[in-house]
This record gives sequence, structure tokens and C-alpha cells, in this order.
Amino acid sequence: MLRLIVRRLLFIVPTLLLVSIVIFLLVEVVPGDPGRVKLGPYASAEQVAQVDHQLGFDRPLAQRYVRWLGSFLTLHWGDSWNLGVPVFSLTMQRLWSSAQLAALALVIIIPLSILLGVVAALRRDGIADRIITVTSLSLTVIPEFVSGVVLIVLFAVTIKIFPVSAVAPAGSGPFTRIYHLILPAIPLMFVELGYIARMARAGMIEALDTAYVRTATLKGLPRRRIVVTHALRNALAPTVAVIGTQIGWLVGGLVVVETLFNYPGIGKLMADSATLKDVPVLEATVLVVAAIYMLSNLAADVIVALLNPRVRFGR
Amino acid sequence: MTEDTPFQQEYADHLRHEVLNGHMTRRQLLVRASVIGLSTTAVARLLAACGSKSAGTTAPGTTQPKMGGTLRATMVSPTVAIEPTTMYDTGSIAIAQQVAEYLAWVNNDLTLRPVLAEKWSPDAAAQVWTFNLRKGVAFQDGKPFGADDVVATMNILLDPKTVSAAIASFQGILSPGGVVKVDDATVAFHLDQPNADFPYLVASTNYDCLILPSTYKLGTWQKNPVGTGPFMMTAYTPKQSATFKKNPKYWQSGMPYLDGIQVTFNEQTQAQGLALQAGSVDMMLYTPVQGSQALFTDPNVKVMTAPSTMHRELAMRVDTAPFTDKRVRQALAYSIDRPALIQALFNGKAELADDNVFFKQYPLSAQDLPQRAQDITQAKQLLTAAGMPNGVNATLFVEEYEEIAQYATLLQAMAKQAGINLKLNQVTLTYWYGSGKNQPWLQAPMGITDWTFRGVPDQYFAAFVTNGIWNSSKFSDPAFDAAVKGYLTTVDETKRREYAKTGATILMDATPVIIPYTISVNRAMRQNVQGVTSDPAEFLDLTTAFLA
Repeated sequence: MLRLIVRRLLFIVPTLLLVSIVIFLLVEVVPGDPGRVKLGPYASAEQVAQVDHQLGFDRPLAQRYVRWLGSFLTLHWGDSWNLGVPVFSLTMQRLWSSAQLAALALVIIIPLSILLGVVAALRRDGIADRIITVTSLSLTVIPEFVSGVVLIVLFAVTIKIFPVSAVAPAGSGPFTRIYHLILPAIPLMFVELGYIARMARAGMIEALDTAYVRTATLKGLPRRRIVVTHALRNALAPTVAVIGTQIGWLVGGLVVVETLFNYPGIGKLMADSATLKDVPVLEATVLVVAAIYMLSNLAADVIVALLNPRVRFGR
Repeated sequence: MTEDTPFQQEYADHLRHEVLNGHMTRRQLLVRASVIGLSTTAVARLLAACGSKSAGTTAPGTTQPKMGGTLRATMVSPTVAIEPTTMYDTGSIAIAQQVAEYLAWVNNDLTLRPVLAEKWSPDAAAQVWTFNLRKGVAFQDGKPFGADDVVATMNILLDPKTVSAAIASFQGILSPGGVVKVDDATVAFHLDQPNADFPYLVASTNYDCLILPSTYKLGTWQKNPVGTGPFMMTAYTPKQSATFKKNPKYWQSGMPYLDGIQVTFNEQTQAQGLALQAGSVDMMLYTPVQGSQALFTDPNVKVMTAPSTMHRELAMRVDTAPFTDKRVRQALAYSIDRPALIQALFNGKAELADDNVFFKQYPLSAQDLPQRAQDITQAKQLLTAAGMPNGVNATLFVEEYEEIAQYATLLQAMAKQAGINLKLNQVTLTYWYGSGKNQPWLQAPMGITDWTFRGVPDQYFAAFVTNGIWNSSKFSDPAFDAAVKGYLTTVDETKRREYAKTGATILMDATPVIIPYTISVNRAMRQNVQGVTSDPAEFLDLTTAFLA
């Protein structure tokens, strides 16, 4: 088990290195350059070249990469080319904001979708199953920018129960902050709900069809005990794995929701720095999000292992 | 107040004749009088002589201002770190304008309002302009404001190492060393050649010219925002928010009325509008019609509109087939139904333009040139005459910006009726402006580029004169170059008007570019926001704003 974790952790390092190289190459391919972004359309080509030179953007690609890597590894992340603030604190602030939104969404989504999935499995092909499956699937296919706009118009503009912005005024307490995050969390719930609930349903149905559940039933155990202690543990493995892959998205991939609710998350920062060629910020945000992706996947695998002795003991 | 110079008095007399002879309206007279720096008493005398009762320009419907309160505004975030000497984006400019000030502000009617300069006057050739600075003004850090600060700021802007876009506007007009301190409260600008519009070049429309203290170090503004303005910036988080509090020592006594401003940055027009409708902000910096339609009918929201010369320039390279023949370019111009575009794209909030930059909003532009209208028959005849009876194919580069994509789609349909088949190629802003040897907006055979508001047409000429730095169409005509030179360097208004008419006529005939409309700038705010108007350049002056 420990070996598995260590091996996976070691694997993360070369992956991140590869990611950082790919980003450098991609920035090279995307048209435009940082000097132009800094000076705007009316600046002359010479002025733009001058700024590019100051930023070192006119040096050979390999040289730039080595220089960047050296300072990145020693935690000298420098200043954002565009925003003029330190990259490290900027990235960490944004990560913290994103983590809050993701956490709130997960706290609601995980129990709710597992519960719905289990209920649907237990009432397989019944009315409850049909309602849960169709509703959650329909919600999943609504894009966030559609559900987000509808929610804002409905709950923030027409009947004003929720604030339109996801950011609470400075100095607000934790409850006010959560209150501001509820509306943006709902579109995320919609997207995830159908996905995770269906996983839970499928896992549960499979578990209910196994021999040991049949044995337990024939032994005369109460239904509740069979579901909770016998079936659920095994039914959840695929669900946990899916949740693990979704955490990365919830933290780093929420560009649309963050834009709509004007929430300063890391996803929007990443998108902005990609379009405006802010290389230090782009590298930092992508690597942080990539690390979270891999770590949450690893965590999911560990949980799956803990749920399943066969995986835990490596056979 | 200092008396007007003999030259100014002579000029005032000249303006009076212009109006009495019917060459100029009173509104146009006010614009020119403010540029030449006539004192208010002289302007009042002039108007009286022309038979007008008062020069009253107070906005209608203003109530007694209420002190206090914080205005919550939303706008696009500054794209890059805020640096007044090199800024170019709407967000940076609106933020810096709260803290620092110009020598003069360009009002919506194109008159100049003295701010840090109290008064100015040209010599008889309009080659040396003397600015008298306001006394008793201090920067927010306590340092007194004076001539040294103006000279230092101008020297920063004129230094090629600063990489300020303002330098393009000064090219051939003002060079390093041309700004001279006369005494602590007087600065003289010695120009490279006469220029009758010079005050506009150091006013708000040349937006990098905010006056900073002589001690200012480049690149430090975002950390230590400084200026003489009505508000002090107390907090700034890039891409999120900016907080301002009232400058208690502001030189205009009793102002500003507000205690502070809270700015929330938001990149999306639609999200800004929703926040305004929900009442979580009081005002949007600017409100493009596309994406904000709901605001125009919301009873809690009012939308102020300022006519502007903001426009889109469709340039066709006159040295590249099929646009080498001017009849092909004219044919495209005649295929456009301009009123339909204005209705569809702006819900009517735009004005007709005539394929040249001597827009009718400018006081010296010819008002009597025929407006181009859709004429498909003529467009087809022109194509036939050019030897292309079966039509033309061309690729149009379309910048991804505000309404331009929709404009291009409508244009495509209109041009098709005349037999011009346009293939649209949509590109991002960064691609379009590019850099170094690759600047598609200056190289593409045919493309649409966005142009901002200017108080005088002067700053647009670089797109049309021979070898102009912004000349996308590669148009070149000695007659046009001569007209522009005459327009810029002559002081006599009658002659300038003739030069303007010649320039406009040449551009319309040759049609190197198509400019179907000028856009009016909208600004949506809650009903209780008072003392704020819209601005033709999306600028923001909240000195007189208050919450009723």
C-alpha cells in the first residue's frame, strides 16, 4: 500500500515536468506576444519588441525554459508579466477561492448523488428510479452558462434571495461567504449530479446482483443491514474513482461559472493568462491544477483500495 | 484671470465673423473658442455679439447634490498592471482617471474644460502654446503641483524608452525638449510645426497624459497610486476590485460629493448587466447594446448615451487585387444599407458615417457632403465598369470584438446582393494586432479594425497619409497629404474647413476604407445615480457624482 503511494507520488514529478514543457511549446504556437498585450494596439512594433526584450521573450525557447524552471523550482515564481503582482501569492489566493467553491459543491454533491443513486438502484425500473435517472441526466446536459444565467435571473434579479456575485463583501463571516457561494455551486451540482448518481446506481445494482448479497438475504439479514454494510462498500468503488477525477475539474476547470458569477478562481486566472500570454502565471496555475488532479486521483485510488481488500493487498 | 492675448482677441473676432457669415454654428464656435483658450468673459462677449443669450451648459434635471455615500461601479478589469504613461485599455484608464488628472478634459460636446491648466494661448502661428497652470493644487502625497511636474510627465511620455502610445500622437508635432518651464506655474510647448488643435493632444483624449509628480518612478503607480485627482485608491486587487476614498484636500472645494467608490471588475457585459439589475452595483462603466438589451427596458435602470466618433474601419488594400480598382471599393460601399446596420447592431444608438474620418461631429468638417446610401444597381454597374460583371470574391478578416462579428455577417449578406462574395475569417484581437513583422491589421488585404474616440480627427490621419504608421489600406495620394498638412498647420478656420472638405471628398471618392457608422457610447446606472453622464471615450469622471 505504502509502496503504491510512493510509486505514484514519484510518477507525478516527471508528469509535471512534461506538462510544463508542453505549455511552453503551446505558448510559442499561440499567436500574439506579451509586449503587445502590455502596450496595446496603438504601440509601434519597435516599442513592442523593446518590452519583449525586457521580459526575455526574445531569447531562444530552450534558454527561456531552463531559466524559468530554475527559478520555479527554487520557489522564485516572480511577478506576473501582465498584472504586476507576485505569481505565488496570486496563484495561492486563487487556489484558495477555488477550493472553497469546490468544497462546498462536493459537500452537497457527494452525499446527495450517492443517496439518489442507491435509492434508484434499490427501486430499479420503478417510478423513483425513472424520475431520478431522467432528472439527473437532464440536469447534467444543461451547460453551466445556461443554468447559471437562469439561476441568476430567477434567484438574484427577480426574487432576490441570493446575491448575484459569488464574492462576499470584505470582512464577512464564514456563513455569509457560504451564502454567496450557494448560487454558483448549483450549476456545478447539476453537472455532477447525473454523472455520480448514475455511477452509484450502476455500482449498487452490480453489488446487489452478487452472490454474497444473495447469501445475506437468504440468511435472513434485514435489508437495511445488507445494503449499508455489505453492498454499499463494494458498490462505491467506481463512484469514488469518478469523484476523484472530478475534483481536478471542480478546482481548476470552472472558467464558465467563475466568469458568470465573477468569482476569482484559479480556472479563470489560467484562461486569462493563456489568452494574454502571461507565461509565469500560466505555468504556475496549470502545474498547481495538474498536481491537484493527480493527487485527487491518487487519493481516490487509495480510498478504493481501503474499500476493497483485494486492491489493498495488491492481489 | 489673465487677459486674452492680442492674437486670441483677433482670433475671437475671426470666429465671430465665421458665425455671422453662417459658416459655423454657435456650438462649433464654443468648441473652437475653448481650444484656442479664450477666457469665459471673452466667450460670453462673443456669444452675445452673435445673438445668443447664454452659454449655459448645465445638464438638465440635476437636483441638489447629496454628500456622502459609496458608489459601486462595475467595469472590465485593467488588462495589465496599471501604468498611466503606457496604459491603453478601458479599465486601466478609468481607474487612473479617478486618482490623476489631465491639463484639460474633453467634454462630450468636444469643448475643452480646463483642469490642471487654468488657461492656455497660442502664439500667432500656433507653434508655441503657453499653458498657465492652476495654483494651490497639491498631489495626494502632499507635494505641491507645478510646472516641473508637467515638464517631467511630458518628458516621460516623449522618451521612446517609455514605450507610451502617446508618442504616436506627438509624432512630427512635439519632440523631446519641446516642453519648457517658463515659471513655476507656466509651461510652454514649442511645437515642431504649427498645430491649431494642440490642446487636445495634452487633454483627456490623449489618455496617457495624466500629470504625475516629477518624482514619479516608472512602473510604480499600481503600488503607489498618485495624482491630484478627486479620489485616492486605497486598495487594488487585479481582476477583482479597486477601492477609492475621497481626497479631502481636492482643489475643487466641496468636491467630490461621494465618500468613496467601490469598483468590482467583471469581464462579461451580461454578468455586469445582471449585477446592475439585481442592485448589487450602481453603475456600469459602459454598456454595449449587444448583450445588454434587457437594461434598456428595466425601469430601475437609466441608460445615458454620448454620441462619439468611435468607429470600425473596413480597410481594403489598394495595392492588392481585387481592390486596386477604386470602383470595386466603391461598389462595396454602395452595397451597404447603413441605417439597417445601425438598427440591427445598436438598436438605433449609432450615427451614420460616410467612409471618411472628417466626421460630422467635428466642428470643422463639411456638413453638406452627400450621405452614401445603399444602391445595388450602382454597385453592380461599378463592378461591370471595373471589368468584373460576374462578381468578386474576397476574404474579410474580422476581429473578435463587441459587435464586429455580427456586423461582418450582415455586411456579407448585403455585399452578396451586389455580387461581392465575402469569405469571413474571424481572428482574435491578439492575433489581429500581432507584433514585429507580423501585424495582420496592417497587412491583410481586407479587414475590420476597431477605432476609439478622438476629440479631433488629427489622430486618425496616420491611417490615410502616405506611409502613415496605421495605414492599413496602403492608400497614398499627394493631394490628400497636402490637405491634411494644411488642415493641421493652418490657423484660419475658413481655410481649415476647406482642407477638411477636400480631405473628406478625396477619401470618399477613393474609398480606401469603409466606415458605415460611428457608435454612441451607453452607460447604464441605477436611477438614484446622479451627476454622471456617459462619455464618448468610455472615460469616467465622478467628481460631480452623487447618490440621490
